[in-house]
Amino acid sequence: MRRRFYIIALHAHGKILPETYELISFVRDIGGEEKTGIILGSKPGIVMMARELAQKTGMDIICATSKYLENYNAQGYKDALKGLIDCTDPCYICIPHTATGFDFGPLLGAALNIPCISAIEDVHDGVLIRSMFGGRIHARIKPPGPCAILTVQPGAWEGSAACSGPAGPVRIVHSDISPGKTIIHKLKVPASKDVGFADAEVIISAGRGIGSEQNLALIKRLAAMFQRSAIGATRAACDLGWLGYDHQIGVTGRTVSPRLYMACGISGAVQHISGMRNSRLIVAINTDPHAAIFRVASYCIVEDIKTFIPLVLEEYSRMSGISF
Amino acid sequence: MGMNILVCVKQVPDSADTIELCEGSSRIIYKEGTVFRMNRYDEFALEEALLIKECFPGTIVDAVSVGPDRVSLSIRKALETGADQGIHLRVESDQYLTPFARASLIAGFARAGSYDLIMAGIMAEDDMECQVGQILAEMLCLPCATSVIFQEMSKDEKTVYVEREIEGGVHECITLPMPALLTIQSGINTPRYPSLSNVLRARSQKIEMIESQMAAALIMDRTVIGLGYPRQPSAGEYLEGTPAAKASALLKILHEAAIL
Repeated sequence: MRRRFYIIALHAHGKILPETYELISFVRDIGGEEKTGIILGSKPGIVMMARELAQKTGMDIICATSKYLENYNAQGYKDALKGLIDCTDPCYICIPHTATGFDFGPLLGAALNIPCISAIEDVHDGVLIRSMFGGRIHARIKPPGPCAILTVQPGAWEGSAACSGPAGPVRIVHSDISPGKTIIHKLKVPASKDVGFADAEVIISAGRGIGSEQNLALIKRLAAMFQRSAIGATRAACDLGWLGYDHQIGVTGRTVSPRLYMACGISGAVQHISGMRNSRLIVAINTDPHAAIFRVASYCIVEDIKTFIPLVLEEYSRMSGISF
Repeated sequence: MGMNILVCVKQVPDSADTIELCEGSSRIIYKEGTVFRMNRYDEFALEEALLIKECFPGTIVDAVSVGPDRVSLSIRKALETGADQGIHLRVESDQYLTPFARASLIAGFARAGSYDLIMAGIMAEDDMECQVGQILAEMLCLPCATSVIFQEMSKDEKTVYVEREIEGGVHECITLPMPALLTIQSGINTPRYPSLSNVLRARSQKIEMIESQMAAALIMDRTVIGLGYPRQPSAGEYLEGTPAAKASALLKILHEAAIL
């Protein structure tokens, strides 16, 4: 019996999130043929989104509705999906590894008593690849049983192109779930300061590997070499209090694509890379020749920023006659 | 009044530089001199628990960790930081355990403990799975919120309001009934350093050791079929030569790309 791939669509503010379409490319790469999309929400908005998904993908879509699914809640998603998916036949349940996806994915796995393989970022010959130790090690994974939850790292696959064929059928089902135990309030958008990413042609970013807050001065001097530049940071550097979270680039921060991205002392965790991989030119400076950041860099420099940046500044001053 | 809080702390190697792969197998070797420490995300969870303890007198904070003998050092660190009791769920293996196995062991312990609140870091820095907390919540039938960046316990200790950090700088706001489980995002607080009085207290304190027999069967549940170093794509060019030569080369590249 062929394995069925369930693609769990995520949506926000009435729009299907792009990570949903990335799941379709992932399933193609793993060789999945039997696909069913599932989208959960409350009427009437969810039915519109289900039709759009069926149109764009050509997939069979199950649209599960309940008034208790009006807002995302982990319990509602888990209970509704548990009611829809029959694990007696082989299946993989594919979910984006977003803050929503990893919220309910492992819960669903535990509820269905099947393993959950999280943050998958590549597939080789049907074997799943995920990062460990900040991308230093890749684990090759084959789920042990016929069924599993697979959460897929956002940005690891391109979103699938819209399907040119006919729209898939949409089956609307009512999910008979109980109200969640939690109370959902309105979303909050914390005030943020503009650090100039939108206008920046050059972003110089600092990671934990710059060593100390004092060394930020070097990053700032390097940035001053360029006319339209901004300072970025990894989550780790922000957590250390070196820079405000407004500077954070990556999954929970901003996504940028400047002409030049210079990663200084950044190991290159996939969460950071997904926020900067589309930069035009990427230069990475790191003492560790195996740092994951070098895999996305156009130019790799194995040096310590403390000694290397001063050399760059000195050389540029000599060339331009301006000191930095 | 006061609550019983359980914080799950994992021990991880301080740096990926001291790990190697055993040739042809899926084992990780921790080189001699490998320094182990508490997972940073768990430090934020522990700090948040200690902040709750300060607001709600009578609250007890327990720290639990799964792992081989060396893990007791991180439990000791939790005691030094301010946890009241430490529990070591000992397993022989220093190798990868599935999140299901880890959660099962903790659930086996926590079931007996009548905890009002269980906290853990959002993920471990080594395995990066983001799963143990959620699976544990499901096993214990607790409501759960992940990626928590703010929490506020109600005065009557019956509910907890949390903000979850989701993509695009947005916070999802939820009130959970207690008992509950929260996984904590980094940056929620600034973890404290151990105080001298806590260090002295922790020195003589016994860590409760529980041998985990059950792990043997769970360890067999192998999902990882191999480990490897990521392949370096050929696209990136490593600049060669002396540091000064690399600096000149970089400036030339930026100049040719019309960035400088």
